[in-house]
Amino acid sequence: MSIMEYNGGSVIAMVGKDCVAIASDLRLGVQSLSISSNFQKIFPVTDRVFVGLPGLASDVTTLHEQFRYRVNMYTIKEEREIEPETFAQLVSSTLYERRFGPYFIEPVIAGMQKTPSGSLKPFIAATDLIGCLNFAKDFVVAGTASSKLFGVAEGLWEPDLEAEDLFETISQTLLNAVDRDAFSGWGAVVHLMCFFEGSTHPLAQPRRSSTNRIASPVAP
Amino acid sequence: MPDGSFAHPQQRHFNPYTENGGTILAIAGADFSVIAGDTRQSEGYSIQTRYAPKVFRLTDRAVLAVNGFAADGNMFVKKVKQRLEWYRHAHAKDMPLRAIARLIQTMLYAQRFFPYYVYNILGGIEEDGKYHTSLPSYSTAFPPHPLSRVHWIKREWKCGPKVLVANTFRLLVQLGSGAVYSFDPVGSYEREACRAAGAAQSLVQPFLDNQIYFKNQTAPAGQSHPTHLPLQDVLSIVIDSFTSATERHIEVGDGLEMYVVLAKGRSPQGLESIAGIQEVTTKSDSDRVFVIRRELKKD
Amino acid sequence: MDHFPTSWGRPRNEAYDAFNTYPLHQRPNHSKDVFADGVQRTQQPIVTGTSVLALTYKDGIMMAADNLASYGSLARFKSIQRLHAVGNSTVLGASGDMSDYQYIQTLLDELVIDEFTANDKHDLGPAEIHEYLSRVLYSRRSKMNPLWNSLLVGGKKNGKRFLAYVDLLGTTYSASTIATGYGAHIAIPLLRKAIEGRENTLTEAEARSILTEAMRVLFYRDARSLDKFQIATVNDEGVSISETITLETAWGFAEGIRGYGAQTQ
Repeated sequence: MSIMEYNGGSVIAMVGKDCVAIASDLRLGVQSLSISSNFQKIFPVTDRVFVGLPGLASDVTTLHEQFRYRVNMYTIKEEREIEPETFAQLVSSTLYERRFGPYFIEPVIAGMQKTPSGSLKPFIAATDLIGCLNFAKDFVVAGTASSKLFGVAEGLWEPDLEAEDLFETISQTLLNAVDRDAFSGWGAVVHLMCFFEGSTHPLAQPRRSSTNRIASPVAP
Repeated sequence: MPDGSFAHPQQRHFNPYTENGGTILAIAGADFSVIAGDTRQSEGYSIQTRYAPKVFRLTDRAVLAVNGFAADGNMFVKKVKQRLEWYRHAHAKDMPLRAIARLIQTMLYAQRFFPYYVYNILGGIEEDGKYHTSLPSYSTAFPPHPLSRVHWIKREWKCGPKVLVANTFRLLVQLGSGAVYSFDPVGSYEREACRAAGAAQSLVQPFLDNQIYFKNQTAPAGQSHPTHLPLQDVLSIVIDSFTSATERHIEVGDGLEMYVVLAKGRSPQGLESIAGIQEVTTKSDSDRVFVIRRELKKD
Repeated sequence: MDHFPTSWGRPRNEAYDAFNTYPLHQRPNHSKDVFADGVQRTQQPIVTGTSVLALTYKDGIMMAADNLASYGSLARFKSIQRLHAVGNSTVLGASGDMSDYQYIQTLLDELVIDEFTANDKHDLGPAEIHEYLSRVLYSRRSKMNPLWNSLLVGGKKNGKRFLAYVDLLGTTYSASTIATGYGAHIAIPLLRKAIEGRENTLTEAEARSILTEAMRVLFYRDARSLDKFQIATVNDEGVSISETITLETAWGFAEGIRGYGAQTQ
């Protein structure tokens, strides 16, 4: 039995045109027994950064608290919010601190990164359980359905997807992948972040990111 | 610690199996089947050859794809072909697809306690298609033959106590339907519309669920998803599946071999225009088999 | 494929002994088999030959193997021939257990004599020899009593070149250039770069120099190899196996490298 498959769960993040999305399933299990269909694996870090933490459920909580503490310390010292790429480095070093007794989590980071011109550009990254960073330009996956996510994403994803299309692409990828994974599923959640420069788009007004529950938890 | 002495007994073990990578895939259409596989053969991190076929024509309406341990796969195909030849000699016709499927099950289960380490996918044309009243021009073009699936029927009308028998015969033609059977190494099998197996099964199968079965997709209001896709769409999905698998799986690549089995009577619309297509049918007036080859990335 | 014949046909275990620190003929195996007490037959290779290399060129095929048969890490027999002509259009190259190879030689020689005495104007070509060997090796593995070899079969018959591989598991394949053992790791990249796409234009002299260069590289890096080797050629003229060739090597570069040459401190 692999500890990485003890509780199950999967996360994926994708880049679009001026937008980025991160999605996960909602299952929590103990091996093949499903316990919860509303287990949060994706957490907001700042207004512009999300982190997904698939892996051992107890470490999800521990690492989430650890990241919250370190991001708060960073915010106080620097008197500004942490950028996605900086946060990815923080995740990496936090995990590598435990190189020989790791947290059993493979984090996925998605956010909108500030550019020198002041606009925002999509950013995604993922690491393994000891913090080896992977900055991808297209999509990153992690968790028990990772090979399935890779297969579907490689088939569906294309460059410069508009926000609506990115939402559909990441949703289809996640749903079809977790449907073939015994350890993932039981509902899913998608977070979409978009950059609307001077836009009147309704999504751009009230908040900077939107979260959509694309499949409600299903009773067994 | 091994020291070369005979002081303590040493346990040695011969493993009669290995894995040779690669992926296979088959999709059934309404009146055709596509059976495909990559052509790379590997062991561990070494590519042994860039061209080792995993897909084999068995008859003019059956194609078998084998994946897993290559030595077992080749031996298994050899034995299936031998059994089909014996059947041909005994019955003067090709074995029907569903019978080949059952034959493969019994052959695999016969080795239950020393299994062929092979995943099989059988594709082709099943004799369970719809009956179509033929046009007069059809019956002239294809006169009935003892081996063909053409049935003469008599028309009868009941008029009270009498029975009037029509003095004309009408020709009914049974069109074959596309069929795919998938097997596990010890013979469990089922008929399906599509199946992927092998090294990249976990990458390809959910993609096919989405693109072939339209899983997780909602049809526009008042419409429904098609139960079978046209051949051109299926070929595109097969090629996309293999390029994706090549991108993300090290054991997949080098070449792609796609067999297309067309039901008799179906016009090969669009097939002739495909670059490099090759027909491998052995008889006229039967279902037809074609091969399409494509390059895949070699890294 | 693993470098060492002793590891062939064994479960792969990359986590253990990644650097092959144990003597070749005494690989450790920690797995417990509950049925092991009941049967006792499967052997291990004792006297082994290392890589065989082969390629196709314009007029036929060419194969090379060195003249060493090792006993573990001991260079035991230094003038063994590992290339064998079968009939007059086929050559067989063997790595792995040398006694199993000699048994295979007697099988093939019997087969060729039977075929000759039939006097039916048929003789066995490389494809038939390869098919025969693959059946023999596959049936032996299925009896859990393998012939511990990786074999290359090459030849030319009726104008058609043939080059294929078969091993102790019955695994077969054919390609324009093949190597066994360490050669599959070290020589194949060199050979593929030189040969792929040029199978029909490569001259005999070019093929010979490519093979010689690959054998030299192998001698530098494969600790179970020898600087004496032979080259077999099969073309329209038939099979010819060369006299032993001795490789020219230069070790001057080692002088300045710590860990290679004689160090004073």
